[in-house]
Order: sequence, then structure tokens, then C-alpha cells
Amino acid sequence: MLNKIFRKEFVFCAALGANVNNADEWLKYADKEMRGDKSRGVMVMTIKTPNWTRTLEIESDVEGKKQALSTILAPAKEKGIRTLRIENNMWNYFPKLKRKVAVSSSMLLASWMGSDFTNDDVLKSSSMSEDYSHKFIADEGEYKVIENTAKTTSKVMWPKITSYSSKTDCLPRIYNYYDKENKLRRVLTLSELKTFDGHKFLTHWEMKPQDDATKSTVLDYKSMEFNPSFKPGHFTQQNLTGK
Amino acid sequence: MKTLFLLSLLSLSAFAIETDISGNIEGQARHSTNNSAAKDDLFQDWDQEEFYLLYGNLNGKVEMDAFKLETNWFVRHSVSPLYDPAPHPIRGDVPYAATQIYTFPNRLVARDVFKLQYDHQQDNYRTESILNKFFIEWNYDEHRVTAGRMYINYGLGETFNPINPFNQPTGLTAISQVAQGNDGGSVAFFLSDKYTVEFLLLGDKRIEGYEGQIDHTLWVHGEYQYSDKLQLDYVVGEDQNRQKVGGQVAYRFVEAMVFTQLLYQSNLVTHKPSNNLWDFMLGYDQQVSALWHVRIEGGYQKANRYLTAGTFGDRFLPTEYFIALANVYEVHPLVKLNGTVVNDIKSGFTYFIAKSIYSFKDNYEAELFGYVPVAKGDAADNPAQKLVTTDLGVALRAFF
Repeated sequence: MLNKIFRKEFVFCAALGANVNNADEWLKYADKEMRGDKSRGVMVMTIKTPNWTRTLEIESDVEGKKQALSTILAPAKEKGIRTLRIENNMWNYFPKLKRKVAVSSSMLLASWMGSDFTNDDVLKSSSMSEDYSHKFIADEGEYKVIENTAKTTSKVMWPKITSYSSKTDCLPRIYNYYDKENKLRRVLTLSELKTFDGHKFLTHWEMKPQDDATKSTVLDYKSMEFNPSFKPGHFTQQNLTGK
Repeated sequence: MKTLFLLSLLSLSAFAIETDISGNIEGQARHSTNNSAAKDDLFQDWDQEEFYLLYGNLNGKVEMDAFKLETNWFVRHSVSPLYDPAPHPIRGDVPYAATQIYTFPNRLVARDVFKLQYDHQQDNYRTESILNKFFIEWNYDEHRVTAGRMYINYGLGETFNPINPFNQPTGLTAISQVAQGNDGGSVAFFLSDKYTVEFLLLGDKRIEGYEGQIDHTLWVHGEYQYSDKLQLDYVVGEDQNRQKVGGQVAYRFVEAMVFTQLLYQSNLVTHKPSNNLWDFMLGYDQQVSALWHVRIEGGYQKANRYLTAGTFGDRFLPTEYFIALANVYEVHPLVKLNGTVVNDIKSGFTYFIAKSIYSFKDNYEAELFGYVPVAKGDAADNPAQKLVTTDLGVALRAFF
């Protein structure tokens, strides 16, 4: 069985090898595998510092690049808080007080619930394959290093991201995020490859801010479903406020 | 047989019932120092006292397909010598006014036809228990029908939100985990992703008391997302015997949001002595950095010259012209500092509110709070400002 999977991946990467100098193909493939057209994931987020640890459980529904809906499942303090994004509009909904708050687009760049991930990371509003230009810049052992530069037409937080993609499965294992001053600000490491609905998906994500080596946030996907059947009107304000 | 079994499973899952129970409980203790002007002019003859408060919500929800039933039981118990003052020849033996400030919002149902509450005050304590939410909701296509006692929450104002008279903002109060219920029904039409309109029919008995007639509220609230940046809200209707019309405009920049509200209220339609009222507010909201959030709200609320004792306490903000500057700074992912200054431009009265919230474990918070009237101003313009006390307190809250 393992041999079969290995052969399949090897054959696939060999097929991609014909376009080995085309980093776009690698990123498109990674987006197709990791994002799909639509998905529903349940993840556990653990925010760590030397003195304390905080855990949140989140359900995240995504359809394309334009629509996303996340719901906090635990802990009780935040349970039920939902965030809806439709294109560039975003709303938070606090069901206990029945309060809906429109959020300015600058908040996409703000920290999500005190973690090292941003709203943009959780709501998946930017797409590596569509919002960035790509080129191979190095070979480092088992990785191809790709430089991803934000397109001038893209509204993204990070002007430059370098990614380290596995030569075995073509999926990224490390993302380095650089700010406008070309200073490395955070590093995302991905591991624990699993397959869901035919999609290869890395289920353990660890984000480390570079200005505080003692802090990190870990995302562990408990489940991932690709192409789930969302009801009509799933990504609407009626559904956002109907829970 | 197997097919029948599978079909029955499918039909059961299609009408699956989901239930949820959640809530919170909070204890507060505060030490208060009285305003000397309240002591001299308003017969609030006390110097320093302690005030203890315990309150909580128990929220229940049952969902089945397109139907939902929600309830919330709110309980509050407060203890202080301020409830049991020595009789005064003019004030009588009613509790000192500060007790109402410390428990704002005092009214847990803004528009009520049914009491559904227990309220008992004796000696040095007061106990309240109320079902402030109890409604059934039905979502059908692009419509939503709600009936019962419900929360109505819209508008961007956190210290002053005149376009929504059905839920008082709690941005300045010490009680945060609360919303007001309203008795009646509503029909909402989600006409598109950008346009929603809601019709409300509410009843209100409190104007004349529970023996009196039910005053009705007929209200329309529309919300239109004109563009990515611009959102428009409008309200129009008759509420508490006044015809009201107003709206909100909110414009979002990349970095910030600017919003404004205007509400006009006619004279009483019952032809009782009254003056018309209007409220205006302008707000600015910015996430300055990942850690620092700023909000400024300023405005005007026309004084009701015919205010009676029965309408006292409807609004927490004891000013006519005001500007409020609120800063929230996250010094640590678990610690937030919150500082708000409220100034009455006309009288000069200035009020400073400081809060430090510490989250420990996942569902527990501790808060230190201070309320300080830093400038007295000319209290002749608004006597209620004399009632504002200096407080230092601590709160512990748990969520489940």
C-alpha cells in the first residue's frame, strides 16, 4: 500500500517535473490540494507562551476565494462566535447578545483571537497561487525554495513569502513571511500529511512570530472535508445571524 | 428492510434536534465614594460604602430544521447598605440613586407586555430574576419570522446608539454580559446579500403600568450595503407614543471606520405635554495596530423637559452634549487595558473609566475597574451628573 502511494506521488511529481521550472504549477497544485474548491475543516488552535496555553476549537467553511464562514466551537466563553466573509466584506456575530458587527477590511490583518494567525489566515481570503507571482530560487535538500511576490493588483498583507515545498509531494512545508522592509516576521511550518476525500493535506501547522521566540500558535486539523454540500444561503447574513 | 432502515435514519437526521445550554456568572465588589454635590443637593447623604453584586445568565437553545427556540434567564442579587438608608424627610426611605447606576441596565426588558420577573428589595439587598429572552424563530427561504421576547441589536454606537431604542449600549457600564428583551414579533426579509429589511410589532405596558393599556411599537429597520465601504441603515416608526425617523451611515476605510447616526422623535402622539427630541452622534473606530484599538463617539441628545421619575434611568450617559474617547490596549494576549474618557462639552463634566481585564484559563476572567468623575463641571446643566460616584472595584466572571 505504502509502495503504491509512493509510486503514485513519485509518478505525479515526475509528471510535474516536465514543468519543473514553472513554480506557478507547484503553487497551483498545492492550492488545489490544500484548499480545493470548497471545504469544511474542524481544527484545534493552541496558543502557547512560556506561562500559559490557550485552546480554541473552530469550524471553518470555505467556498472559493470569496466566501468563508468560521464558528468557534469551544471554549464556552467564545462558543458560537461566527465570522462571515463575502468578498471584501466581513462581519462578526455574537449570538449570546444577538450582535452583528461589520469589520473593516484592515481587520483581516489583525490577530485572530489573540493568536499568531490573522483573520486572513483563518478566513482564507488570499490565495498563494492567485495573489502572488512565483519563481524557484534555490534547491535545499529535499525542498524546492520558491519566492512568492505579491502581485500589484493583490490586497495582501505580506509583500513577500518564501516557501519550501517538498520535492516528494510538491506541498509546502515551510512559509517565511516578510514585511515591507524585507524583514522576516513569522514562520509557518506544516507537517503530518493525511489524505481527505482524495486531497493531500498537511494537518499540523505551527506559526512562530520572529519577534518573540517564546510564543507560537499551533493548528491541528481534527477533520477536513472537501467539496461538502453547503445548503443554499450558507454564506449569507441570514445564516450568520440564524444560529 | 435494510433500505427502510436507512431511509428512517435519513429522515431522522433530516429533522435532527440540536440543543445547547450556556451561560455565565459574575461577582463584583466595589468601594464607592459619594459626590459631595449629590449629598448636599440631592439628599444622597452617604460618604463611603461597599456594593456587592452577583449576576448571571442561563441561555438555552433548541434547534430543529428551520425552527429555533431560545431562552435566557437572568438573575441578579446585590447587597449594600445603600439599599437601606435612614429615612429622610424629602427623599423618604427609597434606596440611594447610586444603586441604579451600579446595576445599569436596570430594565432587562425594554418593551414588555408580560412581567415574567421576580423583583424583591428588602433591608440591604435586592434580588431580581427575569426571563429576558423567550422566542421562537422560523427561517423560511429569504425570510425570518420571530415571535416572543427577543433581543433587538443593531447600530454601531457603543456608548450612545440612538437609532436602536430597544437595547441600551453597555459600553460605559459595569455590567456587560446583558441584553434587553422586547415582547412582540418581527418579520425580516433578506432581499439580497446587500439589503435586509425588518418589520417589528412590539407591545409596551410600562408607560401606564401593567394595569394600563398596551402601547404599541411599529418599527421598520432597513440595512443596505451600498458598496464594500458604505453601509446605510434607516429606521422609521412609532414607538412609546412618539413618531421616530432616523438612520445611520457607516463608511469603512482600509484603516478605520467613520459612522454617524441621527434620530428625530416627534411630540407625544397622545397630545400630552411634551417636546420633540432629536439625537445625533458621530463615531470613529480604528484598529491602530494589532494591539491598540481606538474609538471616539461624540454627539448630542436633546433633553426631555418633561422627564418623569418613571423614565429616569433609560440612558446611562448623563450628558446632553458629549464626546467619548475609548482606548483598548492589549498588553499581553491575556491582559487588556481599557480607558475611556467621557466629557460633557456644555457643562464641563468629565468622567474617566478604567478597566483591566485579565483572562485566566479558558473560561475565566478577572477585572479591576475604576470610575472617576475627574471634572465636576456646571451641574446646573444636568443635575444627574451629581449622582456619579467614585468607584474602585473588582469582578470575577466565569463562562460555561
